[in-house]
Amino acid sequence: MTYKTDLPVMLPMKRREAEPFLSLKMWYILPIALLAILGPNLVVAQSTPESQSPIAVLLNWAPLLLKGFIFNLVISVSAMALGTFVGAILGLGQISLFAPTRHSSWFVTQFFRNAPWLVLLFFAMFLLPFEINLFGFKIPFPDWFKAILGLSLPVMANVSEIVRGAVRSLPSGQWEAAESLAYTRLQTLWLIILPQCVKRMLPPWMNLYSILTMATVLASIVGVNEVMTLTGQALASEGGRPDLLAPFYGFVLLLFFIYCYPIAKFTVWLETKYAVIS
Amino acid sequence: MNLKTLATTLVVSALSISAASADILDTIKERGKLIVGTKADYKPYGFLDTSGAIIGIEPDLARDVAEKLGVEIEFVPVVSSNRMQFLEQGKIDLMIATMTDKPDRREIVLIPDPNYYSSGTNILALKSLGLKEWEDLRGKPVCGIQGAFYNKATSQNYGAEIVAFKGTAEAYSALKGGNCAAFVYDDSAIVAKAAEPEWAEYEMPLQTIDDAPWGLAVALGEDNFAQLMSDMIIDWHKTGRILELETKWGVTNTPFAQAMHDKYK
Repeated sequence: MTYKTDLPVMLPMKRREAEPFLSLKMWYILPIALLAILGPNLVVAQSTPESQSPIAVLLNWAPLLLKGFIFNLVISVSAMALGTFVGAILGLGQISLFAPTRHSSWFVTQFFRNAPWLVLLFFAMFLLPFEINLFGFKIPFPDWFKAILGLSLPVMANVSEIVRGAVRSLPSGQWEAAESLAYTRLQTLWLIILPQCVKRMLPPWMNLYSILTMATVLASIVGVNEVMTLTGQALASEGGRPDLLAPFYGFVLLLFFIYCYPIAKFTVWLETKYAVIS
Repeated sequence: MNLKTLATTLVVSALSISAASADILDTIKERGKLIVGTKADYKPYGFLDTSGAIIGIEPDLARDVAEKLGVEIEFVPVVSSNRMQFLEQGKIDLMIATMTDKPDRREIVLIPDPNYYSSGTNILALKSLGLKEWEDLRGKPVCGIQGAFYNKATSQNYGAEIVAFKGTAEAYSALKGGNCAAFVYDDSAIVAKAAEPEWAEYEMPLQTIDDAPWGLAVALGEDNFAQLMSDMIIDWHKTGRILELETKWGVTNTPFAQAMHDKYK
């Protein structure tokens, strides 16, 4: 209900939103990427008629690059699942009443949260063996699996902080009310606190997933056959034509954008839905 | 019951250790597959086709080996920084990956003689620069590929400032864009590049340096396999297989391959 008044104090406070530079919108990146892919065609089409146009070359390689991109998604989903599972336990450890658990969980969280992702990835890559001999069975430990482990470490630490933050953000009245109704601590957490936390955790958790997906290209540095590695190899196989650089990397950019942008949009929608002030 | 499990575990793990130390040729035959590490970003020695399969001169050589052993073949893409580790770990059986034969590398992996190939270092530069000798590069930015051993030589001996890139496409692009005066790379690749019409203004002006032989490698201690590879290499030189593959993949026949063919025929 709104009141008609000239008293400034009665007007709702105007909240300032961040305004994009020159009112650029995020989706403008789409035409920019398309320009990167198509632009060099127009130039090269005139200069060298005998070599294939960049777009034709890109189309040849697109199925392989898409396969590589799907591999990136597999890595991101697996690392997220693993990181969320361990991170949730770690986050609950951070609010434990038992001091050693609380302190060690805090230490592990802070350690992995403040380490560069690439360094953690290198550690996972070069410290783990390529296969382990467990009770006489050789269990292979392929590169992509190591990449999943390496990337799940920072995810774990971030999820741990998200869980801790969400639990802390609930008014203490929730705890007090539960205690007055004779709920045990476990029951309070499981039946009262955590259900309320889920919707608070969802937006930051999805943000984290977006960031993780974009970070999966780091795995190319340690030799996993994902989309960036394949792009580099494809460029080399085309004899290192400089005019192919922009279309190929533009294509990779586009793939990630098409995947991550809807997630970002959905996250914003969730944030407004669950916001305390609407 | 616990003791029994433990005993079984011990026996099984002991068995697996003895299996691991068996001759690799037996392992390959048992597996029915030869696993070879080759480059996947080094045209024309090892690169991808659009289906993602590894092709090129070295994969063709590896196919010859698999054929001789009567097994299937599987390629594992390697890069300079992990190729010897893969061999040590047993992830690959054989490595044919444009590796320069060096004494310190011979301590880590077993390189059968004779060498199968050779290449040297040279530069691609604008003709208009009029470079005449390596000393002319002093103080100039020179493009290179990350992890190539000649980057160090070029910067230390001739004072060039190396700008290292991930792949050849990036380096060629930087050279065209004028970010560096020259691109230091393998001479055989440069000869092919300079012949392309887009690169008509560029040339390979210097004397090739560091002409060094390439070695394929097997894991240390695999003497039987190394012996077999030695015979294979001699056979390749004798029959002119290397020369034939060079022609097939569009490389001008190198003096090394020609000389080895003359020596063994």
